[in-house]
Amino acid sequence: MTDLIDLNNIHLTLADKAVLNIKSISIPAHQCTLITGRNGSGKTTLFKVISGLLKPNRATIEYQGLTLPWKKAKPILQKDFIYLHQNPYLFDDTVLNNIAYGLYRAGESKAVAHQKVMQALDWANLSHLAHRSAKQLSGGEKQRVALTRARILSPRLLLLDEPTASMDTDAKQQTSELLQRLKSEGVSILICSHETHTIDHIADHFLHLENGELTPASSSKRTSNVTVLNPSKKSI
Amino acid sequence: MNDLSQASLNAFQLLISGNTDIWEIISLSFSVSFSAILIATPFALIIAFCLAFFQFKLRRACIALFNTFMSVPAVIIGLTLYLLLSRSGPLGDLRLLFTHKAMIIGQILLCFPLLVAMAHATFQAADRRAWETAITLGAKPWRAFFTLVYEVRFGLIAAIVAGFGRVIAEIGCSMMVGGNILHSTRNIPTAIALETSKGEFAQGIALGIVLLVLSLSLNAGVSVFQGKGELQQ
Repeated sequence: MTDLIDLNNIHLTLADKAVLNIKSISIPAHQCTLITGRNGSGKTTLFKVISGLLKPNRATIEYQGLTLPWKKAKPILQKDFIYLHQNPYLFDDTVLNNIAYGLYRAGESKAVAHQKVMQALDWANLSHLAHRSAKQLSGGEKQRVALTRARILSPRLLLLDEPTASMDTDAKQQTSELLQRLKSEGVSILICSHETHTIDHIADHFLHLENGELTPASSSKRTSNVTVLNPSKKSI
Repeated sequence: MNDLSQASLNAFQLLISGNTDIWEIISLSFSVSFSAILIATPFALIIAFCLAFFQFKLRRACIALFNTFMSVPAVIIGLTLYLLLSRSGPLGDLRLLFTHKAMIIGQILLCFPLLVAMAHATFQAADRRAWETAITLGAKPWRAFFTLVYEVRFGLIAAIVAGFGRVIAEIGCSMMVGGNILHSTRNIPTAIALETSKGEFAQGIALGIVLLVLSLSLNAGVSVFQGKGELQQ
């Protein structure tokens, strides 16, 4: 098992409170890692640090053979990783244009972007939503559109913050299936979730975040055939 | 009462007949105020965004300063600008006093704090996920800024309309730095003051009607935009 990225000595203080104090975390490539933890344990903060959206007080990144301080790694993290909020934000536009947003930013022409978006919508069984206003979608539809929007950019790591929170059973099932398909395509996924029963069949590795510190997940939080990553060392 | 009715009737006749003087004053008013808003808006939006999204030293002091400047009377801004632009002033060599440009500068100074304060409130209330989503999907900061501006466009349009309303109707600054010169720097408010002082009520009322209609339209416009913004949330 190879690591996609290793982050060391992540420390972040907000309003004089240590929010993150992680000695080391390794994220394996092409696998799914699930991070559990209570509200306020720092899961979202950690995800934003990893995806280059939130500056920590200090952190060192080992990525693609380079060891860089977070500040220097930030543009690379923002380029290669995609973070999805708990309630994904869709721009005030059609579903089609939402999914094409990243393609346009990458310099794709309108015709090519349109073609890729239609293929992606077809992949996610969302073709019927292409011309709908994104603001009018249900929570589950928004999540699946956001996943499709992320997938189309072929990220090296997808960070999903509570992807099935506040969803009904059907929406959870559909989102879970989509995640399974993303994983089978070889996308590296990092998920944080309370609802481990919905997600844990997808996860290969489990971690637990408590008061800003990573610990191996307890047996009740994982199934028997998965690996627990040692957060203080390189991945096992 | 008869005088007032007659003056109002004459005012409508002046407007409908396309009186050159009246329409020249109206067009000058609009061109000066539009120019001021057009120049001030981009800078105001960038400053407002920085104040809302970034933490830096003196950020709170800057916000307090803009809020304070918002309530400075137009005549004080006019006086300050007059002293700066007058021949003996530090910017006297530019020979801008009693020109269009001086009026535009005065109106920029007037609307700028209002634009910053209102746009700041809009950005502050904006959903930060919009910014983060744009960045994580590969947008450069400038592109993400424009995406965010589009997302909160209704609030920003309301701010711009309010700024326009502030400058189109101000008299103190235009009078001091424009000088109320016919065919050159006479705008609606300065013309109303002059015509009223001469007892020429018809022209004053005609221009007053234009301002009143404009004010009603602006308020209706702001309500529509704010309503659309609320509906979106």
